[in-house]
Amino acid sequence: MIMVRTPAGMRRAAVAAVAALSLTGLAACSGGDSGSAVPGSGGGKTDDLAASAPVASNLPAGSTMEKIKKRGELIVGGSLDAPLLSQQNPATKKVEGLDADFGRLLAKYIIGEPKVKIVNSASETREALLSNGTVDVVLQTYSITPERAEQVAFAGPYYSSGLVVATKKDETGIKAPADLKGRTVIAGANTPAIPAIKKAAPDAKILTFGSDPECVQALKQGRGDAYVQDQAILLATAKQDPSIKIQGEPFTSDPYGIGLKHGDTQMKQFVNDWLKKIEASGLWAKTWKNSIGTVVEGDAPQPPAIGSAKGSE
Amino acid sequence: MDVITDHLGEFGDGLLLTAELTLLALAGALAAGIIVAAMRVSPVRVLRAAGMAYVEVLQNIPLLVWLVIAVFGLPEIGVIAGLFTTSAVVIALYQGAYTAEAIRSGINAVPAGQGEAARALGLTFVQSLRLVVLPQALRTVVQPLGNIAIMTLMNTALAAAVGVVELTAAANRVNLAEAQPIWIFVTAGLAYMALSAVFGLVTGGLERKLAILR
Repeated sequence: MIMVRTPAGMRRAAVAAVAALSLTGLAACSGGDSGSAVPGSGGGKTDDLAASAPVASNLPAGSTMEKIKKRGELIVGGSLDAPLLSQQNPATKKVEGLDADFGRLLAKYIIGEPKVKIVNSASETREALLSNGTVDVVLQTYSITPERAEQVAFAGPYYSSGLVVATKKDETGIKAPADLKGRTVIAGANTPAIPAIKKAAPDAKILTFGSDPECVQALKQGRGDAYVQDQAILLATAKQDPSIKIQGEPFTSDPYGIGLKHGDTQMKQFVNDWLKKIEASGLWAKTWKNSIGTVVEGDAPQPPAIGSAKGSE
Repeated sequence: MDVITDHLGEFGDGLLLTAELTLLALAGALAAGIIVAAMRVSPVRVLRAAGMAYVEVLQNIPLLVWLVIAVFGLPEIGVIAGLFTTSAVVIALYQGAYTAEAIRSGINAVPAGQGEAARALGLTFVQSLRLVVLPQALRTVVQPLGNIAIMTLMNTALAAAVGVVELTAAANRVNLAEAQPIWIFVTAGLAYMALSAVFGLVTGGLERKLAILR
């Protein structure tokens, strides 16, 4: 009466039915995000960028750059899922965006060809990947901080972004970061938004999610009152999704650096010289136009002064 | 080492939340497991099918997928609960499927004569299960249940992905400020090891106390 054993055939049929059911359930759930696949992808023009890019006249013997040239490709620690910065286009498999373009331009400068291999790094692993030589450089919205500068060398800053506050369209009570007081604020896990919110509104409750689409979804579902994220990322989101509104201008200054192996002053000097060169020639502005410039009105901003950020001296 | 001592508060809060999440999920998993195991051995065909469907659906989809479905999918149909509550319920239901299978194996280990004797005495199905079979079944599966408890503890780390600031998420946040991943994650790992060592000790003690020599 107890130990009942179901015949194997029936069991298999039931398993199949259940699997089919759960699959349809999943398919129904995944519909919502499909619109956000490739926001504002510049596309197409990158090859023109690399074509007019400079190539270094001579590389010092025994330097890291020479080793990269011998290998024939630059290994970059970066993302594949950051819209406008470094996102893989699912149709062409090409990685597009500001960081991705700069990676190709740097490869062209060292090797003579824009040959880049992107190793998907995360904010937890970047320091380790640089110090053990898995990647040559990190180009991944890598904010320069004095703490990080104790473990890696930063060339640049090559771009200065900042955090902005986004809310649902009908929200009127949040105009500035100080208005976040006592509110629930959504932020990406492992982003500089977390300390920035703590500073602007110490008693705000911070809710973190792993990816940008998840944060946007949580904001739309009312899990939080506001979403604090990097301006470049939020601009792309707000442009795509009319139910999201950006409140005001960036309230932090967030200088991005190119992460290099700690102590490699020769390479740091080399990369800084390259940055100065492309900034002077107008290639920097063209690169900006090709990515972030596709969602921001107006001319390219003035690039930040090399070595200006604390930690990049 | 300063990295750790400066952030003891964050680590402590995370550890506490991990412990709470684990204990709540375990309590839920045990309840769900006993009910589902009872359904799977019941004489009613519909209950058996429902029990099997539960186990197969829950076990054959990864926990992270369940968490994301519950956290981002349920609000779409108007069900919105806190992140901690949602995570605790989802982990409990998921681990409940594994618990049910462990308990069912325990039930199958009880000699058939026990159930027959219970029926001969005039006990109903529920009575014979509750008074005769389950007490013997649970004693034989202390060790597998202990493993499930440790697995539950480890699986709570997935709640970090849906915004619960348990130990893993706390370690992530500290690392964001300090950029010392090795020290920080080794510390988090040691804390997990300490917690699972407690589970191991409790399981060992229970097993010695409850084992039936056949």
